Amino acid sequence: MSAVLEVTNIKKSFGGITAVDGVSFDVRQGEILGLIGPNGCGKSTLFNCILGQLTSTAGEVKVDGRAVTGMRPSELNRLGVSRTFQLLQVFPKLSVRENLILAGQEHQGNMMSRLVGRSDAGLSEAANQMIGFFKLDHLAGEQAGGLSYGQQKLLDAAMAFMGGPRLVLLDEPAGGVNPSMLVDLKDRLVAINREKNATFVVIEHNMEFVMSLCSRVMVMAEGKVLAMGRPDEVRANPAVIDAYLGH
Amino acid sequence: MSANARYLRLAAGLVAIAALMVIPMNFNRYGLFILSQWAVMTIAAMGLNLTLGYAGQVSLAQGAFVGVGAYASAILTTHGWPLPAALGVSILASFIVGWLLGYPALRVQHHYLAFVTLAFSTLAFLVFRNESWLTGGIYGISNIPRPHIFGFATNKPLPFYYLCLGSLGLVSLAVWWLIRSPWGRAFMALRENPLRAQSLGVDTRRYTLMAFAIGSALGGVAGGLYAPLTQYIDPVPFNLSLSLDLLMMVIVGGSGFFFGPFLGAMIAVLLPEWLRFTQGYYLMLYAIAVILLLIWSPTGILGILDRFLANRRTRVASALRAVAKSRLETVQ
Repeated sequence: MSAVLEVTNIKKSFGGITAVDGVSFDVRQGEILGLIGPNGCGKSTLFNCILGQLTSTAGEVKVDGRAVTGMRPSELNRLGVSRTFQLLQVFPKLSVRENLILAGQEHQGNMMSRLVGRSDAGLSEAANQMIGFFKLDHLAGEQAGGLSYGQQKLLDAAMAFMGGPRLVLLDEPAGGVNPSMLVDLKDRLVAINREKNATFVVIEHNMEFVMSLCSRVMVMAEGKVLAMGRPDEVRANPAVIDAYLGH
Repeated sequence: MSANARYLRLAAGLVAIAALMVIPMNFNRYGLFILSQWAVMTIAAMGLNLTLGYAGQVSLAQGAFVGVGAYASAILTTHGWPLPAALGVSILASFIVGWLLGYPALRVQHHYLAFVTLAFSTLAFLVFRNESWLTGGIYGISNIPRPHIFGFATNKPLPFYYLCLGSLGLVSLAVWWLIRSPWGRAFMALRENPLRAQSLGVDTRRYTLMAFAIGSALGGVAGGLYAPLTQYIDPVPFNLSLSLDLLMMVIVGGSGFFFGPFLGAMIAVLLPEWLRFTQGYYLMLYAIAVILLLIWSPTGILGILDRFLANRRTRVASALRAVAKSRLETVQ
């Protein structure tokens, strides 16, 4: 299988602190890669560097074999790379449905056709399907800001899928989501992964969630890759137990 | 929204339009002038509402764009151009200058951006005042003609008022279309969360520039009508205080609400006339009213209405949920 994402020797320093220190890895088509590690080990910074939200100090990122280093987040998104955020990032004053339409509209036509074309950019149906898929039906017309934390997390994830992305980077999707909703979320992710052959990289602290969802897990510590392998291998790795999992 | 509510809204809209057309027929010259001014200022405030209210970009330069439009229209019509052509130039000129003013917004935001636009406002005023070869300097431009539209002379106050009202109607339709289009949604995304918008493929740079350019172009439309309305312009009306007035109209009416500028401009233009009997106390009363309003409702007058409707919606929704839940329990 070919690599959807290739990351080579990414470095990012903030003044004297090196948050990401020469990280290299690749993600294969259709894979779900888990990314774990202690707080402050550079996971989110790595995401931001890959996605162009931060300019990396050194290194290279390729998507489908194409160099995308330094590309703007909006351009990268239109190439099929999407993300969710660790902290809530929905548009609070827009309704749930509007949030989803917005999340997909820039993938439809061009600037001009979006100005003169339909108000929903032809996405009402797709938005409704996504709402149903994430079980947000009863909230479709509500302002996103009025939803509970867990519901907003679900919406956030749903938004990342509206553009039909090939690669999605999820930053702590399970954080703050209650257990029953968590099962739903996992089901949805697995379904999208299988049906759409979408590739995921998932940052998460919930070990059960990561270990059951991911086919491979990468462990970071102090900006570097500490271990990479199948969930059971990683869980048994003494260095990982020492740095992160605990005894 | 239910079908009934939609018809009710439509009916209210038609009544308002009819009233705006019929009632002023009995107005005197001065009354028509004030009402025309209201229409013109509403157009300018709608532009600022787009830039600030929808796209979240602070601007203290809207008055300067009214000036750009007014001077373009005044210079060209006094040289024999027909008003529609001159208006086209007004729109284009303010669109381009607005686009350029958008560039600083790509780097600075909020109060820093306010200062950038404030500086631009001052700069524009100095150009209007000092470049007398073009603008007539402090003596301004007089004898600005009123146009013939489709063969109808608009010299008299009533036809000119209809011209302003018609323009307001066209601008309203255009803005309504714009904010309901994906562009409008992208503008709101810019206001609420530019970081997230970027990650969803929204080209925040291009939309920011567009928000400035289109908002400024509407300022240009207003200016292009203001010149033939007053038939004389000098730099003074386009100084910073006009920008502040327009900002006030947007905030008081309800920033980010479609009808906010209509209401805001009404208060700013008509209230002084109604409060004339208070003589010197007008401004004090106005200031106190604004302070109280913003303490009570920081989102302006339409914000009060919106909160009321939202509360009612929530109550209805939770009642429906309770009913659904009790049914579910009965079934089990």
